[in-house]
Amino acid sequence: MGGLNTTLLIGMQALEVAQGALSATSNNIANANTVGYTREIPQLSENQLSVSGSHVSGGGVSLDGIKSVRDQLLNIQILQQTAAKNSADTTSAAMDQLQNFFTTSGNDIATTFSSFSSGLAQLSSNSSNSASQQAVLADGQALARSFNATANGLTGVRSQMDTQVSQTVAQINSLSQQIAQLNGKLSQLSAAGKDGGTIQDQRDVMVQQLSQLTGITISNSSDGEVITTGNGSPLVMGSESYSLQTSAGTDGQQRVLDSNGNDITASIQGGKLGASIALRDQTVPGYLTQLNTLATEFATAFNAAQAKGFDAKGNVGKDFFSIPANAAGAAAGISVAITDATKIAMSSDGSSGSNGNVANLSAALTGALPSGSSPADTYSNLLFNVGNDASNASTNSSAIGQNLLQLTNLQGSVSGVSIDEEATNLIRFQTAYEAAARIISTIQHLNSVTMNMVS
Amino acid sequence: MISDAMQDRNGKLEEYLQLLHSMAFELERAMSAISQNSASAFEESLANQEAFSTRLLELADDISKTKQQNPGAGIPVAGDGLSGEIQSASNSLQMLNRRYSALLKFSSHSVALMVSLFSSFQGQLQEGSGSRLKVQTWSCRV
Repeated sequence: MGGLNTTLLIGMQALEVAQGALSATSNNIANANTVGYTREIPQLSENQLSVSGSHVSGGGVSLDGIKSVRDQLLNIQILQQTAAKNSADTTSAAMDQLQNFFTTSGNDIATTFSSFSSGLAQLSSNSSNSASQQAVLADGQALARSFNATANGLTGVRSQMDTQVSQTVAQINSLSQQIAQLNGKLSQLSAAGKDGGTIQDQRDVMVQQLSQLTGITISNSSDGEVITTGNGSPLVMGSESYSLQTSAGTDGQQRVLDSNGNDITASIQGGKLGASIALRDQTVPGYLTQLNTLATEFATAFNAAQAKGFDAKGNVGKDFFSIPANAAGAAAGISVAITDATKIAMSSDGSSGSNGNVANLSAALTGALPSGSSPADTYSNLLFNVGNDASNASTNSSAIGQNLLQLTNLQGSVSGVSIDEEATNLIRFQTAYEAAARIISTIQHLNSVTMNMVS
Repeated sequence: MISDAMQDRNGKLEEYLQLLHSMAFELERAMSAISQNSASAFEESLANQEAFSTRLLELADDISKTKQQNPGAGIPVAGDGLSGEIQSASNSLQMLNRRYSALLKFSSHSVALMVSLFSSFQGQLQEGSGSRLKVQTWSCRV
């Protein structure tokens, strides 16, 4: 019984032996720096030829050696970096969009806050002037609108990311199906002893595309090539594909479920999907929380200052700002509660002509909020966070791009490069990186030195 | 006297500016060398970076000392133009430095894995060949 069964049997043996060798090598790599670790050495041997009647089959197993393992490692690295690059690109594009809501436009929070502050200063010096009173009211309304617009902008980006989650999951499912189909064709061709090179190339391109969408892990089992998401949920197992699903969660946002219906949203990392989820569930909500806290604390402080004074009719100052009861919607829902400028509580004693409480109103803009900083400083911190995240995403995107180029060059350097030379080259790189790390610290230090020097 | 000190200070500031530009060029060159997997070019750039950073620190020290020794003695800081150029060059260098640092972080991981592979492997070295080698983890001859 030679023929196909024997072929498959030997193929299976080959896979098992090669997997053992790979596993041993991986273990060696993982423990390269472990004190006392003894290297495992893969033992490979060729099987005897098998003769059955007129059939001569068999041959055996041969691991291509370090070259193949090297290329396998490079492939894994390339797939990981491709996922990381797309994650950084997606984040960078979204951060560019987010930054627009914080840049100086005349209607941004920093500008309207500054106008509100100037308006109060004007009122302090000319409290009886109805135009000055009206200006403070208008400036307050503009400030509230800035909070609304910024919060709505952030929420809009969050919605875009949510839509992107559903779309990306659909793309992942489509690619997984196509890869599984190609795997099926490959195993048929392989069983028939035909060359499946072209199909293999097509599959590799699709696997690369899949890694752009989400971080994936590829392994080999007796079922053939297995592709899983980073947390181990299967996408492709040989010629079978396993679809991810999306379902609206309690917060209305799309959750990602594996083929068994388990929620794997939190564990998805890398690629467009990982970045979209991180932006939607962490980055943007983080900014919104800071913005809502600022809106709530500032409005509360200003209303408290209002309550200390009296309006033009001698009544105790009513709330100037109105904020929603739900703190999560504070920035989106903040508004000016009064419509009549004479309701601004300028007087400190209820007498007409007093402007003693304007100082309290102004102090609400400069004093520390319960979270510890003044409103301007709190907003500056938020701006810094947004700018820093945007800068990091852009920096990572270009750095990973260069790293990918290096890996691709390493992968392509087949001809004319011996393994020994390549190993030496890499060790030289490793040594040089240590020296480069010192230069990086020096350049960082130079920044403060330069500023002190020229200032 | 003050004029000599000013001239000396401005000369140093101009050299400082030039070195900031040179350092930026070297960082770009080093990143390109890493991308092209060229160890020699990377080492060459690194040697230049070391020389530049040493001179930059010396100059910064000199200029700061002059400033401290003559507090408000009529020695102006660099002219607005030069001062602005230095700040701008310094900012650009910091941005590049962040990218350089990120690239080294990502690349170090890949290179360390490869070096570990080479140092841990004790099997027979057998060069493979063929266009599809990259996807062949093993070969099975039947």
